[in-house]
Amino acid sequence: MSKDRHRVFAPVLWTRRGALEAAACGFGSMALSGLAAEPAGAMAHPLEPKRPHHPARAKRVIFLFMQGGVSHVDSFDHKPLLTERDGQMFDFDDARKIANSGKREATSQRVMKPLWKFGRHGQSGRWGSDLFPEMCRHVDEMTFIHSLRTEGIAHGPATLFLHCGATQFIRPSMGSWVTYGLGTENENLPGFVSISPSSGNGGPRNFGNAFLPAIYQGTALGKAGAPAGEAVIRHLSSSGSAAQRRQFELLQALNAEQLKRTPGESELEAVASSYELAWRMQHRAPEVFDLSAESGATRALYGIGDPKTDNFGRQCLLARRLCESGVRYIQVTYGDNSANPAWDQHSNLPKHKDHARAVDKPIAGLLQDLKARGLLEDTIVWWGGEFGRTPYAEKNGTGRDHNAGGFTVWLAGGGLRKGHAHGATDEWGHKAVEDKMHMHDLHATILHLLGLDHEHLTFRYSGRNFRLTDVHGRVVRELLA
Amino acid sequence: MSAARPILLSLAIAAALTPQPAGAAPSDAEFFESKIRPLLTAHCMECHGEEKQKGGLRLDSRAGWTKGGESGPALVPGNVQASLLLKAVHYLDPNLQMPPKRRLSDAQVGDLEQWVRRGAPDPRAEATTTRPKQTGLTLEQGRKFWSYLPVKAQSVPAVKDATWPRGEVDRFLLTRMETRSVRPSGDADRATLARRVFYDLTGLPPTPEQLAAFVDDPAPDAYPRLVDSLLASPQFGERWGRHWLDVARYAESLTLRGFILKDAWRYRDYVIDAFNDDRPYDQFVREQIAGDLLPHTTRAQRERQMVATTFLALGNTNLEEQDKQQLVMDVVDEQLDTLGKTFLAQTIGCARCHDHKFDPIPTADYYALAGILKNTRTLEHSNVSKWIEVPLPVDPSEEKVLKDHDAAVAVLQARIKAARDREKVAAKPTPRTGGALDPATLPGVVVDDTQAKRVGDWTASRFSGRFIGEGYLHDGAAGKGKRTLTFLPELPHAGRYEVRLAYVPGRNRAAAVPVTVFSADGEKLLTINQQEDPPLDGRFIILGVFRFELNGQGFVIVSNDSEGHVVADAVQFLPVDVKDTPAKPAVGASPAPPARAGADPTAEIKALEAELKQLQSRGPQRPTCLSVREEEKIADARVHVRGSVHNLGALVPRGFLQVASAGPAASLPAGQSGRLELAQWMTRNDNPLTARVMVNRTWHWIFGAGLVRTTDNFGTTGERPSHPELLDHLAARFMQQGWSVKKLVRELVMSRAYQLSSAAAPALLRADPENRLFARASRRRLDAESLRDTLLLLGGNLAGQRGGPTLRPDTAADYAYRHDDTRRSVYAPVLRNALPDLFEVFDFADPSVATGARNTSTASTQALFMLNHPFVRQQAAAAAGRTLGLPAADSAQRVRRAWLAALAREPSKAEAALAARRLAEAGADPAQLREAWTQIWHALVASVDFRHVN
Repeated sequence: MSKDRHRVFAPVLWTRRGALEAAACGFGSMALSGLAAEPAGAMAHPLEPKRPHHPARAKRVIFLFMQGGVSHVDSFDHKPLLTERDGQMFDFDDARKIANSGKREATSQRVMKPLWKFGRHGQSGRWGSDLFPEMCRHVDEMTFIHSLRTEGIAHGPATLFLHCGATQFIRPSMGSWVTYGLGTENENLPGFVSISPSSGNGGPRNFGNAFLPAIYQGTALGKAGAPAGEAVIRHLSSSGSAAQRRQFELLQALNAEQLKRTPGESELEAVASSYELAWRMQHRAPEVFDLSAESGATRALYGIGDPKTDNFGRQCLLARRLCESGVRYIQVTYGDNSANPAWDQHSNLPKHKDHARAVDKPIAGLLQDLKARGLLEDTIVWWGGEFGRTPYAEKNGTGRDHNAGGFTVWLAGGGLRKGHAHGATDEWGHKAVEDKMHMHDLHATILHLLGLDHEHLTFRYSGRNFRLTDVHGRVVRELLA
Repeated sequence: MSAARPILLSLAIAAALTPQPAGAAPSDAEFFESKIRPLLTAHCMECHGEEKQKGGLRLDSRAGWTKGGESGPALVPGNVQASLLLKAVHYLDPNLQMPPKRRLSDAQVGDLEQWVRRGAPDPRAEATTTRPKQTGLTLEQGRKFWSYLPVKAQSVPAVKDATWPRGEVDRFLLTRMETRSVRPSGDADRATLARRVFYDLTGLPPTPEQLAAFVDDPAPDAYPRLVDSLLASPQFGERWGRHWLDVARYAESLTLRGFILKDAWRYRDYVIDAFNDDRPYDQFVREQIAGDLLPHTTRAQRERQMVATTFLALGNTNLEEQDKQQLVMDVVDEQLDTLGKTFLAQTIGCARCHDHKFDPIPTADYYALAGILKNTRTLEHSNVSKWIEVPLPVDPSEEKVLKDHDAAVAVLQARIKAARDREKVAAKPTPRTGGALDPATLPGVVVDDTQAKRVGDWTASRFSGRFIGEGYLHDGAAGKGKRTLTFLPELPHAGRYEVRLAYVPGRNRAAAVPVTVFSADGEKLLTINQQEDPPLDGRFIILGVFRFELNGQGFVIVSNDSEGHVVADAVQFLPVDVKDTPAKPAVGASPAPPARAGADPTAEIKALEAELKQLQSRGPQRPTCLSVREEEKIADARVHVRGSVHNLGALVPRGFLQVASAGPAASLPAGQSGRLELAQWMTRNDNPLTARVMVNRTWHWIFGAGLVRTTDNFGTTGERPSHPELLDHLAARFMQQGWSVKKLVRELVMSRAYQLSSAAAPALLRADPENRLFARASRRRLDAESLRDTLLLLGGNLAGQRGGPTLRPDTAADYAYRHDDTRRSVYAPVLRNALPDLFEVFDFADPSVATGARNTSTASTQALFMLNHPFVRQQAAAAAGRTLGLPAADSAQRVRRAWLAALAREPSKAEAALAARRLAEAGADPAQLREAWTQIWHALVASVDFRHVN
């Protein structure tokens, strides 16, 4: 699909009045905000592509959210000491106790070895375990961050922090910030979509616009736990029947008559034209959502057809199609709606294998496909959870607890170093100790790659300028190619 | 502490204790230049130098570290222990670790220690450049800012055109138009005016009859009579109450885990009643802030005032936050932020970490107010903290019923206990049911010890002869704290289960076995004494009732961390809702087959328990409301340096916003939170903000934009009032007239400005594109509630019932809630994870933050909704049915009536022709005709005129 095809914007959807009312309730309109990147014209559509702050290395993001917290010490953070000391009791800092008391407290915990075998992979020799054999084939494309830290020990806060850069407050999510900063390249599709998002642990707030104008809200496609086939734009009906067409024509004829009664009212015109756009969208979007247009080989690449990988494979393939169609920020969630989502193996760590089986091939397929189509050059793929897991068994059971003090995520694609590993946790994999990187830093770095300066991507609300990284964050240049 | 830590620490201490070889010591200056200066430059200066001074600290001069930052001096020369900087580089305190990115090497830490022991020689001169800190207005400057000046009664201005104004409001507006040489638009026609005032005061359109009654009424007082009847209608409170619910961030659930706030609806009804009863606004404010502390003379008054305080507890709090000190302050912050915006239009939250950068609100003011709220308990803390439900007072007659009920419950419980005791006595020394029980015969889901996941050595035993399944497990009283059993059930459905642990008791058993239940509501640790007989049949002990989801994340861990033998036999999960398990009822419903007789209590107990359950589920419930409690210990709060709960500064006496306080600071009573005084301070007639803010909100809700358009921000970053004199005039009058909202609303809708046409001459549009002069009416988008209510009304499906709970009582969490209520939208449950589709699409206020002015967006999602959503189609079809059901009407009359009902106007010729053509296509076939009418209605309700109020 040619990129130019998407660059046709309807005149004024965002009305002057809308902007004024936004200003009236403390939302600065585009012109009032501190955003450096600006739309082309004064009355331009707010989703129109905007000039970034500096030359961008990537144009879009696919975030593969492993909800619940994948164990880094069982996947990509190789810690031989855990095998050596398996079953022995040691004192570890207890993050929950520290959070409760504010004091440093240790508890005696039983070290648990990784349940999967580690090996070196690719030219770069990066470590990876048998948990993700398919992903391990692509380590040469990846930049591993082994020293990530985040806020929030429980899922609720940590999930919000991951998405919005704040644990407690009502803040816009990263995808909203990115679309606010850059607009989108296809007006017939939303700029920010979240495929199968969870309704738990912050639910809609994780793709919400908060105080940014509503147009930057993420569009949820389907929901966690539902079949990928349900991941569609809501209220879209493309029966194409004669009755539907006649209904539409009747409405637009009526609107045309009513506009004649009050000529020159741009707000009324905007509402009438929104029906035109919706009509176009519902006839063009299905094309994007139709996975049957893909070749058998491509479908197989994503594991479509195999019951174990079919669902997540479809979601990943949809992500690629959306990415190709100019959607700016795409999140794919592997999770569910519960308070203890998918990867949250407090007990029964071997269950990780079931989840890994479901995502491994589709993700590897996505990377390979993006690369083959040249899309990986200007797309950032981000894989990870809201935190990692402890190197010891929780309550001395068969699972691992949350670990926000040091865990691994990987990035791949536009502007990133290939086959690189950044930072390290301690010898247990418990806490980040080398080149520690905070979630704020990850946000800042991804924004940087997109051409946005995290300190200048601001929005005036409730009397002050807000940004995704609050007053923190730094661009980690070591990750950049 | 990490196992690796002792090594690092001992290295550090060793370095600190190692004496420097005498004679080889470099001079202080050399040492500083070779070791310390490069280290500081490389690792510290980025954040604590000339460019940035994080935490207020700079390390680029001796003066810098002597003065220190917000936490005090960084170094105490000669004293390693007392030097914060060394504490930070040692990484001993999780809240104070520097450099943040990476710990320094041990050698570097050693160098710093040596430097301090040497007396921290530092040859660097004081830095010459200091950047001016950006600060807001001083209190003195602030008191001169418009919103903090006292409200002053204004004289009504003279106008050139004395015939135009209908009242004082008009004179204030006209004088400004005249200075700008702007002519107001003409008056709106009567039908347009009727539709406007109906929507503005009730949220519903006039019916064709109501419309005709007004339009055809020649009496000069037709309009005032209409206004008065609308103000007196109960729909007024439903419309205006909803406005208030926006600024109160009203919701009936929390984002976190979809928790249901089951009593929140009482607050919604309280608000609706307050507007219908025209409760004086000052009293309304006081009740919401301190209703629980206000005096009362009647039970009803007490109840109302208690329910009002739900306002304080509605924050969308993250109850899971494990740092409970942090959570306490986050709750306080949320309350302050909401109180500030809602009542005072102040962004107080900006002063949490530093003095407000723009407004005259010092951090001390924030903590003076925070102190008041910190003395008010909003949550009870545990792993997942919980809001507070307070019993409501009840009538003496109800009280008697409740007390009788409580007594009946107590009697039954006592009888059950007595029966159990008898049974226990009878059961000893021979157990009631002997031998092994087959788990398959037990109700619910049973995880036998053989299925439990084991960590460490567990020994199987059959010694006691009484167990579930093949036997039970014990730890041999060894390997203490190292062994666990995990019982992971495969549950048939999500929901609530009673969880029971089976163990075999004995005198050598452990007396404090830690058992943890992981459920959808978090984890709960219980301690079981296995020396005691399990209460149920000598086999099971009830661990409690828990909610589980179907994700394999609900389970029970038994740990052996207790002296003595730890035993575990099985864990049973019994669904609590009997209707869920018709085949396998829980305790005591079906006749017990012989094999399982032993698992159930005796027939007597079973009968009694069934009776108790029925009594508890059918009996009267003591009403409760969501509220707050005064803390027992009253204290002032300390400044939290940079907002951190772990870095406390000076104690601040509780108090109010200084800039908005006349006279000297009030001293608050020592034994009370100060919330009552806060409520009184807010509603004093000399508070410059409260009345102005409410008058402006009311203006916004009537005219579509406030005199100050930033309705929630009267600070320096907000907009200035377009008509400051008018705002003061109205605020002064508002207070004079007993803070009556209805009188204020009446005055505004009676103004000529309100009754103008929304059409504007090009000259007016050019002169005042944003309508800041109110020389024409503002066209407004039909909001979510009015849109939904009107669709239901036109379809004949709007239910008229008022008040009361609307959430389905069996709702455990708000996820994917099915909204099927057809009452007015104000009664639709406001669920933070599951707003009705229509609300989400049509700019409903975010129920997590105070919203004085909603956004108005024009998104394709709205168009898709109007085109395709079944709700729209259904109401259009229902309206079509009603149209066709009109007796003795021809199609032109039907078209006319449809237009009157939907748009409150006659169809234009062209519109009528469109409809006629569509109907002609359908011909005489009834099905075709019905389809044609459905399409006409569908087009009508999606049309631009329907979606706007002119």
